[in-house]
Amino acid sequence: MVDADDARISDETLIGRVAAGDSAAFERLVKRHQAAVFRFARAAAPTGSEPEEILRETFLAARRVAARYRHEPSARPWLLTLARQAIDRRHPLREADSTPLHQLARAAAEPENASGEGASVATALASLPAEDRGILTLCDRELFTTDEAARVTGLDNAAVRTRLHRARLRLLATAKENGRGR
Amino acid sequence: MDDERLVAGLHCGEVVADLTEHLDGRLSRERTLRIDEHLQGCSTCRRLGDEIAAIVRLLRELPDEPLAPAIEARLVEDLRAEEPLPHG
Repeated sequence: MVDADDARISDETLIGRVAAGDSAAFERLVKRHQAAVFRFARAAAPTGSEPEEILRETFLAARRVAARYRHEPSARPWLLTLARQAIDRRHPLREADSTPLHQLARAAAEPENASGEGASVATALASLPAEDRGILTLCDRELFTTDEAARVTGLDNAAVRTRLHRARLRLLATAKENGRGR
Repeated sequence: MDDERLVAGLHCGEVVADLTEHLDGRLSRERTLRIDEHLQGCSTCRRLGDEIAAIVRLLRELPDEPLAPAIEARLVEDLRAEEPLPHG
C-alpha cells in the first residue's frame, strides 16, 4: 500500500526500514522501482519468463542485503546492479561486440526514405541485441550517468561509453531499416 | 560514408567515433570546438550527428509503462510468500 506522501520518504530511509524487517517499507520500495527493474530485466534478458523471475530475484536480494546499502540518493542503480547480477547468473558469458565501428556508422548513415519517418524507436529498440538494449535502457531511459551504468554493468566507464555509442548507431540503423521495409 | 575524408583537420572516422561523447557533452572544450568545426564543413557527419541526437531524444521521450497488473500481483504474492519470519 502506498500513501500519498510516499515520494517524501527517501529510498535510503525505506531501505533502512527494510533492513530492520519492516515489510510495509519493503512493499513501498518495490512499488516505487518495480517498473524500472522490470524494464531493465526485459531489455537485458528477454527470453520467456526470465524478466519476471529476475524482477522477483532482484527484490528478494534487495531485502536480504538491505543492511549493506550504502548512502546514495536513489536506490535505482543499486537495484539494477542486483538485477544485473541475477541476469549474469543465468548468462555468465557475454559475447563481445566485434562489429567494426565504421561498419556500424555506415549502416547508421544510410539515407532514410520518406516512409522511414516516424519509424518506431520502440520497435527498433526491441529488435536490438540484449547488450545494446541494456546499455540504452540505463543511459537513455533511466538517464544514469556513465559511472552509474558502469556500476550496474560491471564494465569500466570507457567501455560503457563505447558500448553506448555503438548501441546508438545500431538503434539508428535499425530504425532506418525498419522504415525502409514499410 | 568516407572515413578518410579530412575536414577542419579531422578525418570523418575520428569524428564519427566521438559523436556520442560530443552529444553528451563529455569532450574537452578544445575537442568539442574541433568537432564543431568539422561538422560545419562536413554535411555527412553533421547529418549523422543530428540523426543520433534525434533518435536519442525520441528514446528518452518514450513513456515509462507501469508494470502490468498481473505481473505486479504475482510479484507481491511471491515476495510475501518468501517473507522472512519476524525477528523474535
